[in-house]
Amino acid sequence: MQAKTEASPILEVNQLTVNYDKTPVLWDITLSIPPGLLVGIVGPNGAGKSTLIKAALGLVKPISGKVEFFGQPLKQVRQRVAYVPQRESVDWGFPVTVRDLVVMGRYGRLGLFHRPREADWAAADHYLELVGMASYANRQISQLSGGQQQRVFLARALLQEADIYFMDEPFTGVDLATETIIVRLLQQLRDKGRTVFVVHHDLNTVESYFDWVIMLNMRLIGYGLTSEFFTPHYLHATYGKSYALFDEALKLSKQKQAGIQ
Amino acid sequence: MIAQSLFSFFIDPILRAPTIGCMLMCLAASLMGVIVFLRKQSLIGEALSHAAYPGVILGVLAAGFLSIKESEEFSLSILVLAGAFLTALLGLWVIQALEKGMGVASDAALCFVLSTFFGVGLTLASDIQFSFTALYKQALAYLYGQAATMTDIHIAIYGGLSLLVISIIFWLYKELKVITFDRQYAKSLGIPVRSIDLLLFILVALAVIIGIRSVGVVLMSAMLIAPAVAARQFTNNLSTMFVLAALFGMVSGFLGNYFSVQLTESLSVSYPAARIILPTGPMIVLVAAAICMSALLFAPQSGLIVRLWRIARFRYICICENILKVMWRIDPKGSTSWQQIAKYQTISRLYLRFLLHRMVQNGWIERQKEDHYCLTIDGQQRAANIVRLHRLWEVYLANYLGVGGDRVHRNAEEMEHILTPEIESELTLLLDDPKQDPHHQPIPLRGEDFNVS
Amino acid sequence: MSANIPFFNPYHGQTFWGFFIELAQRLGALITGKLSFDQLVSDEIQVLVLIGVAISSALVGTFFVLRRMTMLANSLSHTILMGIVLAFFLTTISSSHEEGHLSYIAPMQTMLLAALATGFFTAFLTEFLTKTGKLQEDASTGLVFTSLFALGVILVTILTRNAHIGTEAVMGNADALHISDIFWVYVIVGCNVCLFILFFKEFKLTTFDPGLAYAMGFSPLFYNYLLMAQASATTITSFRAVGVLLVLAFMTGPVLSARLLTHRLKTMLILAVALGSCSALMGVALTRHVLTVYGIALSTSGVVVCSILFTYLCVMIVAPEKGLLTILIAKRK
Repeated sequence: MQAKTEASPILEVNQLTVNYDKTPVLWDITLSIPPGLLVGIVGPNGAGKSTLIKAALGLVKPISGKVEFFGQPLKQVRQRVAYVPQRESVDWGFPVTVRDLVVMGRYGRLGLFHRPREADWAAADHYLELVGMASYANRQISQLSGGQQQRVFLARALLQEADIYFMDEPFTGVDLATETIIVRLLQQLRDKGRTVFVVHHDLNTVESYFDWVIMLNMRLIGYGLTSEFFTPHYLHATYGKSYALFDEALKLSKQKQAGIQ
Repeated sequence: MIAQSLFSFFIDPILRAPTIGCMLMCLAASLMGVIVFLRKQSLIGEALSHAAYPGVILGVLAAGFLSIKESEEFSLSILVLAGAFLTALLGLWVIQALEKGMGVASDAALCFVLSTFFGVGLTLASDIQFSFTALYKQALAYLYGQAATMTDIHIAIYGGLSLLVISIIFWLYKELKVITFDRQYAKSLGIPVRSIDLLLFILVALAVIIGIRSVGVVLMSAMLIAPAVAARQFTNNLSTMFVLAALFGMVSGFLGNYFSVQLTESLSVSYPAARIILPTGPMIVLVAAAICMSALLFAPQSGLIVRLWRIARFRYICICENILKVMWRIDPKGSTSWQQIAKYQTISRLYLRFLLHRMVQNGWIERQKEDHYCLTIDGQQRAANIVRLHRLWEVYLANYLGVGGDRVHRNAEEMEHILTPEIESELTLLLDDPKQDPHHQPIPLRGEDFNVS
Repeated sequence: MSANIPFFNPYHGQTFWGFFIELAQRLGALITGKLSFDQLVSDEIQVLVLIGVAISSALVGTFFVLRRMTMLANSLSHTILMGIVLAFFLTTISSSHEEGHLSYIAPMQTMLLAALATGFFTAFLTEFLTKTGKLQEDASTGLVFTSLFALGVILVTILTRNAHIGTEAVMGNADALHISDIFWVYVIVGCNVCLFILFFKEFKLTTFDPGLAYAMGFSPLFYNYLLMAQASATTITSFRAVGVLLVLAFMTGPVLSARLLTHRLKTMLILAVALGSCSALMGVALTRHVLTVYGIALSTSGVVVCSILFTYLCVMIVAPEKGLLTILIAKRK
């Protein structure tokens, strides 16, 4: 997959540092991503993969650094960015139907006070069809399996009709059929020129799924074409070092800041 | 004078029953409070005490039907306690049924049972107001607690029940310990976790109904929470926690009753016409809350004030160590001028003077003529060590972990004051005893030899 | 502020069904203009006020239940007593008011302000204990409301020199309601209804998925505080009728019942409002019935709460998907 590196970058992160109690847990992340790519974010647990997405979206306040989408701050281009959080972050017993959940994707575009219109509902139905969940439209979301929940989440994101998609661990606890459907849809997005970022944990599928990878372990190990960066050398740099001392020092620092003995 | 009047509370025939009664009642609650606190279910007491209220009223109603008079303390108490216990258990059962059977969230189940049972209780109480007016006062007494009308019979009843609670805790002590700290492990050991859970819930219900005569239904949950929280601030040890919670509970019971009596007296002097009798419950809770607040602020390990002091002290040490570092870098063995030191500090001149004075007193630096300072031997060692930690950490971050940039130095500035000798040893091992940091500055050797410059 | 209570109360001597017939007749008269507002009797005032309380509580309660914040609502309903004390200090008691009654400590505007301040303070203090005090959340909630309520009870007893004040705070005094109470209850009902209509999707999204809400540019924090404010306003306008603690029953009971009957949020809100209002109506009718037939004057607010409980039990049995009957029938098959 040839990346259109000549096109202007859709995401620029400049020296992004996120602190936890005065100690950085994301160090000076600088990257620039061109459009039209399926990007996998890989790294060990606690490496800051979710934190990177959250900091980019403003959910977590970085201590320094700048993030720009299409050369502008997020506030001005919110409608071009879609976010799919982890499934556990949501209460699946909430009284909404599948269709209700999907139409939430339009809330940002509608702004304050306005309700979803006929066209929004029609679009929701369309995307539900696309992910293969049309027959579940009026079901309560608690009746869904993990894979079905993820598909509905994806439909909601698709409804935003954004240019950039951030997905946090979409393939955790999901059946193979669902995973295949989702990957296919993401690839279709990519083919249309959109950019999709996926926090991914299964190293076996990285090469077949993603055009580019971002190798992350507190700092940016490397990012770019999967063929160039998903190699033993970089994998060792990402997964091979002992962070035990760092974690211990971090814990001590936290104690000192809190005044605990 | 105060000591005399405090002591009289135990002796005086009118005062001793409420005093001792309150202490015993709060004792059981504080002990069970430790258990629910550790299980993170502190608010179960709130639901149980409100659920017990209709039972209290039913007991009073039963007394009315059986024509038991107000003066028959024993029978009345037994009926009320039995009723309260039954509805508290019923409430417990309903909560479980709602959570497990109907999929209701636990906080919603607690609040639903709490409010509806209480409403039922209030409805029944309004009936008593007309049907058995003489006993209505009894019903109200349990709302906020009214210890003043207790007699020796009550001490016997409540004392007996408290003893029951204490003995069961004692008997099941080690099972409780295991279950609270590691439930799965306890199951794997073959401990009947579910049965003990059930027993614990019954005991909490028992502790609650023991207490509602003195603290009242509305505020009872405080006696489960406050003493346990206060005790937790002082210790990590379970048995110590029980002992401290029991102590705090009893003191709250005593002082609450004492203040309530004193306040009622002084109010009756100021406003004799109003004939106010202050309920005991709120006073006991205020004392317990005050104890708890003091513990949260001043407890030696985790008290807020203590922690703030430690944070301030840490900052003070950091600044002092930074001064040593600056002096070491400029000239480890020679002297540094006041201006050179001041140039690198952001603190005020006055404070700097004070710090330098302290450091001279503590033996880290010496004052020389013309406003110059030099490091003592100890000072040199300490400064060298700080620099060593700083540069080692930089090697770890930059060379080993591969983190780059300006932030490495800044983080090392923070970490140099935090790293322990153990971490230093491990770093030395991991990094293969490096001699230079990423900026090609030499790393001072361990221990005494600091001649490298 | 005394109302023109007619010498003859048309509900006197009515039984359960008679009550509704009389109520319907008088409502008709009210609408056609034959009856004026100051001619309303205590039963009708109670009905109107309690329905108003039920509406506000059902709306606010739904979101508290869904956000798992019901314990905070419980906490609020206790700490509001300190708000009332605060209102007392903010105003002077006019000697022409009925001394010794909790309801007339201060004008409602002051109480509303004090209630809002208390609401925010409660949330803030609980959060402070949890974050800075490093205390577990259930313990900090419990500590905050019990100590503030205890303080409140003592202060109120001393200030009003009435030993029964604590009881009234907790039970309310539905029989002492005046027509002016209706006004404030419905002002808050109006506010709540407007806010929930205007911000419906915002409340929905921030409750369900705060992360996505924030990413879309909404502020979950703002809606949290808005809810707290609404709960505070609802509680303070309701406490005269039902006392502080029973508001919680109005906030949880009908909501839990509605949840069993539907899986759509909008339907849930409407059903909760309907069920709560029915319970209010039934409660007043029942109280009158019991008074007529058995001569016992039960507490109206208590009976309404019993009715809420009863409604939940019924719904629990007959609910279409999760009801006990349905499950039983399914097992038989």
